[in-house]
Amino acid sequence: MSARTDTVLPTPDKKADADILLRVEGLKTYFFTRNAVLKAVDGVSFTVRKGEAVGLVGESGSGKSMTCLSIMRLVPTPGARIVGGEVWFEDADLLAMSEQDLRGYRGRRMAMIMQDPQTSLNPVYTVGDQVSEPIRLHLKERGERVMAKVMEALRAVRIPQPEVRVTQYPHQFSGGMRQRVVAAMGLTTHPELLIADEPTTSLDVTIQAQFVSLIKDLQRESGTSVIWVTHDLGIVAQCCDRVNVMYAGRVVESAEVRKIFKAPQHPYTKALLDSVPVKGKKKKRLYQIDGQPPALDRLPSGCPFWPRCPHAMDICKEQYPPKTSAGVDDFVHCWLAEK
Amino acid sequence: MADLILEVDNLTKHYRAAGSFFASGTRLVRAVDGVSFAIEEGSTFALVGESGCGKTTITKVLLRLEEPTSGVVRFRDKVVHDLTGPDLRAYKGTVQAVFQDPYSSMNPRMRVIDIIAEPLKVHENLGGAALRNRVGQLLKDVGLSPTAAALYAHQFSGGQRQRIAIARALALRPKLMILDEPVSGLDVSIRAQILNLLVELQKNYGLSYLLISHDLAIVEHMSHTVGVMYVGKLVELASKEALYSDPLHPYSKALLAAVPQPDPDLPMAATVAGEVASPINPPPGCRFHPRGHHLDRAAIGDRKAIYDACIREL
Repeated sequence: MSARTDTVLPTPDKKADADILLRVEGLKTYFFTRNAVLKAVDGVSFTVRKGEAVGLVGESGSGKSMTCLSIMRLVPTPGARIVGGEVWFEDADLLAMSEQDLRGYRGRRMAMIMQDPQTSLNPVYTVGDQVSEPIRLHLKERGERVMAKVMEALRAVRIPQPEVRVTQYPHQFSGGMRQRVVAAMGLTTHPELLIADEPTTSLDVTIQAQFVSLIKDLQRESGTSVIWVTHDLGIVAQCCDRVNVMYAGRVVESAEVRKIFKAPQHPYTKALLDSVPVKGKKKKRLYQIDGQPPALDRLPSGCPFWPRCPHAMDICKEQYPPKTSAGVDDFVHCWLAEK
Repeated sequence: MADLILEVDNLTKHYRAAGSFFASGTRLVRAVDGVSFAIEEGSTFALVGESGCGKTTITKVLLRLEEPTSGVVRFRDKVVHDLTGPDLRAYKGTVQAVFQDPYSSMNPRMRVIDIIAEPLKVHENLGGAALRNRVGQLLKDVGLSPTAAALYAHQFSGGQRQRIAIARALALRPKLMILDEPVSGLDVSIRAQILNLLVELQKNYGLSYLLISHDLAIVEHMSHTVGVMYVGKLVELASKEALYSDPLHPYSKALLAAVPQPDPDLPMAATVAGEVASPINPPPGCRFHPRGHHLDRAAIGDRKAIYDACIREL
């Protein structure tokens, strides 16, 4: 009987797990300072499906960048340490494997674009040299094939005149072009997962639009999954299929993008959406979230958002709300949803 | 039409950049090139544009940190760059600025009371209880507790620091405030607090604002008139309503279309090819033309007057 239900009812709330590329489960990354333990990432869970664009949204200090660095196992040491959780890349736990094995994943099957293209490129090597590094290291190409692949990568990110540009140095590139070079470096190995950590923050508006549409095109062409780390709700709405809203080191709400924008569950998500001015929508006064994001060394008890929450109840101050499931992968941590 | 608090007439600021190792001589950086606009008393005028468009250079000229190469700036009918002595001091009190970075715009070794009191001591010779009361009132006006006066700037978060910067700017009861990217360095949830505060203060203090921003949603929320700048030129000048509902200059269109909207049902931000031109050897004619879009002259119609700035560049 039980076997039968298992096969006949492919539990509707468990969409084929086979298309899950990355599953982060209870990830904890703490900073150990002389005076305190700062829980920068405190039990973060979310999934990224194949070909999906997932947003990690939050303010500074919410732990979004640390989450990404933890996935890549690049947390700054000494100081920070991954103290718990699992990160499954398909059927391998990235946190449990050896450095040696990790090299088959980091830079090869998953790549990261950092916020500042100025500092992620080496000023004394030509762009060609730097783009060729992953090609030599991961794809083990040698000789003329390397240059051919470099050209291909630069063309893929739509850098004009690649044959001229390969011999140039980063300072000869504009900010937008530099960020494309960084993207080219990340994408040469055709990774299955691309983590873009605020890749457009340092770019101008029209250049940002170019870069965002470039990444979207590449994603469509190659079926890469993308994690967009950003605080820009516009980028989230335009780029992501699914959104994870982070606050004080935790994912407080995870939902499909339209649901986040049309029917946000968590009061923080709601407040965040109401506090940004929207083009063409007249708001006399912006909704303001009073107070500030909490400092990690002085986290309030219970739900860390309660001091700023318009719906705070007594229980919010005492206990962190459990996960309330709201669909296939969707969930929210809020006592309001619990009721 | 209301009185004008500030008139900028054909303002030009060129810098000399050193030549490269091989090419001797100097090159001219046309940071601001013949820009004209006016700010009505009590209103908010916004300058938008991407980096290198000259918007910050304009604020430097207005604050008398730079001399214009040519052109005139008039503040209530007085030519700003002819002011000397007591008139200049008075002007510097009347025009104040709040900058983008609340971390570097305050001396870390000064207490909040000293930060805010400094202009009062210099300009108004205040001291003792009178000074403390003024500072306390200013702190209250920007939504901080008067007890904050005894602390140092580093003890505050970014948003609170920006409030302190605003209190310092308000100390001399200015008439015109220059807001240079006032919320760009702040967290999303804090931005609304500061923007709401600025709107409130404008009412209570009767302030005029010159808002410099690259965030078009914030500009739409805050301003009455908007000037769009591109590589040193003011390419479009329009009321907020006209600009946002019907931008005329192709660059304004591109800029407005490039902003990703926080609504998944709206179409993806449109892109315009090419990069921002350099103010050294800018393209001739309209500086936006190499990016492949052209102004539809017929569309200008009866809005000719307000688009004068734009039309001149064709």
